[in-house]
Amino acid sequence: MLIFSVFKTLTDQTVTVELKNDLSITGVLKSVDQFLNIRLDSIKVLDETRHPHMMAVKNCFIRGSVVRYVQLPAEHVDTQLLEDATRREAAAQAKR
Amino acid sequence: MEESTPPPPPNESSPPPPPPAATSGSPTDFLKGVVGKRVVVRLTSGVDYKGVLSCLDGYMNIALEQTEEHVNGTITNRYGDTFIRGNNVLYISAAEAL
Amino acid sequence: MDPSSSGIQEPFDLIRLSLSERVFVKLRGDRELSGILHAYDGHMNLILSDVEETIMIVDEEGQGAVNIAKRKMNMLFVRGDGVILVSPPSRT
Repeated sequence: MLIFSVFKTLTDQTVTVELKNDLSITGVLKSVDQFLNIRLDSIKVLDETRHPHMMAVKNCFIRGSVVRYVQLPAEHVDTQLLEDATRREAAAQAKR
Repeated sequence: MEESTPPPPPNESSPPPPPPAATSGSPTDFLKGVVGKRVVVRLTSGVDYKGVLSCLDGYMNIALEQTEEHVNGTITNRYGDTFIRGNNVLYISAAEAL
Repeated sequence: MDPSSSGIQEPFDLIRLSLSERVFVKLRGDRELSGILHAYDGHMNLILSDVEETIMIVDEEGQGAVNIAKRKMNMLFVRGDGVILVSPPSRT
């Protein structure tokens, strides 16, 4: 749930999603759900010559399970807040 | 409710003896017995991790101390502590007497 | 109790104690990361900053010669299903 919340705070920011098939897509994060499925707008594929079929695609839905990494805009991530929230979630997890 | 229930077994009789270690007992008994001991953790990739088992959880996530990474017989890495994600684990083997 | 354990009751404690520290992460696909850990969850989804990724590319024809590619990333979410192991900095 914590990571889901982080992604929600990053909506309308530009992120780069790297898929497990090595395709990297940069775009504006429009929405995310609890499975970390991601909707991107105004997308641009990193290596267009290698993925010519993606050239006409302007927006996409990415299934969470095919994601390897998401590069986040560091200036919009409060690392101290993240660590505190992580400790709180870990403590809540330990109770049950 | 009204069915005839057998009398409860006498409670003060001796409890079942503890299973002799390493020769019988459930998988859980094995895992309990092996915590704090030297173990070999083999991953599905074939890589072995040898170290002292700190603890593990129900997903078989594992914390190891003094870990050596072995790839087909040669040490490829050493770590003070390691967390191994349980889905990668093929088996845990005791590397010393229990 | 277990005498050798240093106050760790469950594996995730090891990760919790590594928050805001540099960790080593081994991933599927012959990838390794080094980065500062800021968040994780029960799936081992991670958020790391100041990340260096190392990719080992084994050249099949070249008698198993290993090429290494490195790159840096500022702030990175790592999906937990690719994680094999996480090693915190050695605590002494």
